[in-house]
Amino acid sequence: MSFNNILQSIFSALFVASVLRISTPIILPALGGLVSDLSGAINIALEGTMLVAAFTGVVVSAYTESVLLGVIAGILSGLLVAAILGVFHLHLKTDIILAGIAINIMATGGTIFLLYVLTGDKGNSSSLASGSMPFIDIPLIKDIPFLGTAFSGHNILVYVSFLLTWLLAVFLYRTRLGVHLRAVGENAEAAASVGINVLLVRWIALLMSGFFASLGGLNMSMAYLTLFQRDMTAGRGFIALAAVYLGGRKPWGVLIAAIIFGAFDALSNQLGSLDVAPQLVQVIPYVATIVALVVYNIRQKAVALERMRSFQEHELTAQQAVGD
Amino acid sequence: MRKIFANAAVREFIRIVLAVSIALLLGLIVTLLVSEDPWGAYKAFLLGPLSKFNRFGDWIEESITLIFVGLSVAIVFKAKQFSLAAEGQLILGALVSGSVILFVPIESAFLRITVAVLAAAAVGFIWGVIPGYLKAYLDANEIVSTLMLNAIALKMYDYFLTYHIKPEGAGYTASDFLPKAYQVPSFMPKFAGNLYEMFSKQTNITHFLYIMIAACVIGWFLMYRTPFGYELRMIGANIKFARYGGINTKQVIVLAFAISGIFAGLAGAHLAQGIHNKLILNISMGLGFEGIVVATMARNNPLFVPLSGLAYGYLRAGADIMERSSDMSREMVLVVQALIILLVSAEGILPVIQQRVNLNNGKGDGVGTAAVPEGGSDVIQ
Amino acid sequence: MTPVIEMRNIVKMYSNGVVANKGINFSVERGEIHALVGENGAGKSTLMKILYGLEQPTEGELLLDGKTVEFKSPQEAIANGIGMVHQNFMLVPSFTVAENVVLGAEPLGKGGMLDTKQALQVTADLSKQYGLRVDADAVLDSINVGMRQRVEILKMLYRGAQILILDEPTAVLTPQETQELFVAVRALVDQGKTVVFITHKLREVKEISDRVTVMRDGKLIGTQNTADTTTEDMARMMVGREVFLNVNKAPQNRGDKVMEVQNLSYVSEVGRVMLRNVSFNVYAGEVLGIAGVEGNGQTELVEVLTGLRPAASGDAMVHGKVVTSKTPREVRMAGVAHIPEDRLTNGLALDASIEENLIVDRYFDPPFRKGLMIDRKMVLKQGQDLIEEFNIRTPNGQLPVTSLSGGNMQKVIVAREFSSNPKVLIASQPTRGIDVGATEFIRDQLVQKRTDGAAVLLISADLLEVMSLSDRIIAVYEGEITGVFPDAASVSEEELGLYMLGVKRQSFEEMEAYL
Repeated sequence: MSFNNILQSIFSALFVASVLRISTPIILPALGGLVSDLSGAINIALEGTMLVAAFTGVVVSAYTESVLLGVIAGILSGLLVAAILGVFHLHLKTDIILAGIAINIMATGGTIFLLYVLTGDKGNSSSLASGSMPFIDIPLIKDIPFLGTAFSGHNILVYVSFLLTWLLAVFLYRTRLGVHLRAVGENAEAAASVGINVLLVRWIALLMSGFFASLGGLNMSMAYLTLFQRDMTAGRGFIALAAVYLGGRKPWGVLIAAIIFGAFDALSNQLGSLDVAPQLVQVIPYVATIVALVVYNIRQKAVALERMRSFQEHELTAQQAVGD
Repeated sequence: MRKIFANAAVREFIRIVLAVSIALLLGLIVTLLVSEDPWGAYKAFLLGPLSKFNRFGDWIEESITLIFVGLSVAIVFKAKQFSLAAEGQLILGALVSGSVILFVPIESAFLRITVAVLAAAAVGFIWGVIPGYLKAYLDANEIVSTLMLNAIALKMYDYFLTYHIKPEGAGYTASDFLPKAYQVPSFMPKFAGNLYEMFSKQTNITHFLYIMIAACVIGWFLMYRTPFGYELRMIGANIKFARYGGINTKQVIVLAFAISGIFAGLAGAHLAQGIHNKLILNISMGLGFEGIVVATMARNNPLFVPLSGLAYGYLRAGADIMERSSDMSREMVLVVQALIILLVSAEGILPVIQQRVNLNNGKGDGVGTAAVPEGGSDVIQ
Repeated sequence: MTPVIEMRNIVKMYSNGVVANKGINFSVERGEIHALVGENGAGKSTLMKILYGLEQPTEGELLLDGKTVEFKSPQEAIANGIGMVHQNFMLVPSFTVAENVVLGAEPLGKGGMLDTKQALQVTADLSKQYGLRVDADAVLDSINVGMRQRVEILKMLYRGAQILILDEPTAVLTPQETQELFVAVRALVDQGKTVVFITHKLREVKEISDRVTVMRDGKLIGTQNTADTTTEDMARMMVGREVFLNVNKAPQNRGDKVMEVQNLSYVSEVGRVMLRNVSFNVYAGEVLGIAGVEGNGQTELVEVLTGLRPAASGDAMVHGKVVTSKTPREVRMAGVAHIPEDRLTNGLALDASIEENLIVDRYFDPPFRKGLMIDRKMVLKQGQDLIEEFNIRTPNGQLPVTSLSGGNMQKVIVAREFSSNPKVLIASQPTRGIDVGATEFIRDQLVQKRTDGAAVLLISADLLEVMSLSDRIIAVYEGEITGVFPDAASVSEEELGLYMLGVKRQSFEEMEAYL
């Protein structure tokens, strides 16, 4: 496969489609990470929340033979995980990072344990007939050559993730509760002094975070794949956290950051068809994240330096003018 | 002072014992619900590590790794830097130390082993400098950067193992066994006769035990007796104060990440050279995160790390034995572990005891809480 | 007439046994300006916190318009028309003025969405009605302290406050800004509001209040019509003795130039010029006071001089050695000691022991360093010595700093900085928020250092402190020096205030000889 072929495949509709597909389970938890981060709590437990929801969705949909019930149960399980985090972090004063790590350990162990109890298998749920969320053909667009392949026929959650980004942006900047949430994250004392129930707002933020993460988990096990595998989230919850920072802690920025991660991942899949060790390709998104983190922070520093330099130039010339 | 410290220590002890008990009880309930032979399974879990000599060995081996990782985390957390880098440092430490033993043609076993261990420490150090530098000089969030570095380390490990270390044509992804002559000797000296026979045959408790003990002492000494340790603790207590007082906070932060990496690297060396005696896929499986638990239970004090490491190692060893000798899967214990973390680190969980401590001190809220875990009061005693 | 507020027999005992209010009967008439005065720790803040629902009284009752009420939270107080403006503002930095004003009770428009226009309009209207000048659409981060205070007051008015509690509102204002505030307070009262004014500045009590209540040691000493009392009377009621500054100052013996600051400028991270071409010298054996309203570059000046921030241009030298854009350690090694303006942020590690707080500038050299180790015996010994010498009230030096009172915390800083034998001592707000005893002690020590030959640079928001301790005074306004007064004793508070507000300004030629 030549370099040209790679370029071709990257600029193909299929590639765009795969970017969207791969980005969705990052976008959803990233929105969750954003909400809790803005409310003042860094949610390390996104990963575990996703895992629990992914597992619950599969199991419930398999036993009830209802995708809808599976999805509902998955969301409820995610909210439950968020509630555990809430109880420990908000009421029992556990450090949120430790609580998050504990929840991740519990989610990893608990899902494998229950999987083994239910199926006798520790690897995956292939013996369970679980459901899949619907895939949606968009009328009109589906018949346009490039756009149809790229944007139509995705799982419903792909579209939902974009819709939710918009809704979250409206929520955070246009609604009372959203503004309160940001105020609590920035100055909780000030928020409390005007009668905002800080604890309640933080609870809502954590639960929202759990909701988004559980959608991300369901996306893994009932759309991206249609079964549960042990550790199937494979660090997406953590990448989502990185996307929150790279996206500048704004909904659309976070969406774009998550898509960039998805694009790198999709790229590594493309390159993987060459005679390149898959590990070397898979490492790209992680390296890219660090590079992006570095570039972002260097740029921040550069802006400050630039301001100082422009002041020096301006001021020095002004002084010379006075001197002359 | 003594009294406050004693009370605080008692409070901590009660808290930890209570947390462990509650978690174990919940584990028992789960076992009762799920297992055909719950008592047998739980007995295997709780008493397994002491039931046979080789199982005792498993426990100690497991604990040595955990203690190294716990020390690593304790050092960097003491400076209030939430580095999660231990996982990656450990994986690279294992990779490098195993590779040195396998491929570096040093004749002397002692030298080759020493070089391997030092190389693991060095790679851990370097893998710590990166996030440390990013944090200190570029203000890059250490949680994000270390998570990414962990993923990169894991991919590198897989790549080298699969394409360069795995023997040609092997059907499995693992290295050859380390040559017998270059394995780390048992901790029991040969002149101990029967004891040496027993330990060296049935366990893999090696000289790493001594390295671990030395590491704890050095870690403690470093933290509580040296200028660097003082700088580290002041940065943890109030970084603005440290900077104001003239401490080169950036340099110390980089060093904290890096020195922490040395201990994680040693943990990796222990995995490769002490426990498995070869390099295998998924050699760590989240040990770096478990180190956070060990350090937290030890309140980031290197002298308490061995205790929490042994306790934690016991749970893990027990879990393995339970899985092998009953119908319960070892992952049940992960849930128990998670509960222990949650309960131990929940500051608000024993308010009654806390209040009593405060009243005994007769000083109000400030002293009681301040003197407890992280305080400088335990510092220069 | 029924008082609008009546607090009967209020007792407040904290869980640690401290009794902050010991049976207080306090009442406020509708439409009056009522001053509440007392030293720090007299219990006036606690009393007001009870009124505002932040604390619950242990005993006693609260009557509003003659009816018994009970406030479990500030929200209940606000709902009953009581608003409080705290000393540290409760504002959200990235929000606009209007967003801050309406926060918690935002006007809603179509479909339950926020109505931003309405918020701006309401803010502008209130601002106009009460003469509290603000820019409704400015982001809070970009406005000055005076305006932030007005935002706080507007916040309370927006919530329908009829009774306003102002907690030391003038502490951060210039004399002129204080006047502006007084005008607004009178306007509030003219429009039917009631104001409780907490302060310890007796001159302000005389100027603004109708009645005054004095508290001391948790008890209410007396309430009087302001017109019927003198500042001297009030002072005696407050502390039982004369409070006017009484600093024993030996005659000045000015020595050589020690610190030299040349054309120093600083630009903040957001591009704001905080210091512009500042030049001055500090001589051995003098206290040079910097008089200025907070936020006019003093913080930046101190932090640039101590190595905590880089200079944008210009230099500072100690005995000819450049100290700008060096590390804090290098600056300290050059002989500069620094009492920081915020002891909790910079000056101390609260959870570390007193001993350890005392070695942060010296642990790395003998005698505190012995080989690879820190010599714990020396640390212990120095701790004991300094605790005794500086009269730090603590059982021992191993206790964490959090166990100390504010005044004793400050003494820990002073002990460390003074015992390093500095050539230059930069003291920023050295006595802020601490008790009278500690204040006097620290002021005496400061003057002693100067008499012993150190060059002292004093920055304080307390104008009286600057005037009584300094030998020479520089006034600063918006990052520039506006005036120099070579003889601190001969300048009046009003005169200084004009320079501090940039109303008057000396030319460079006028200042040159005295800088």
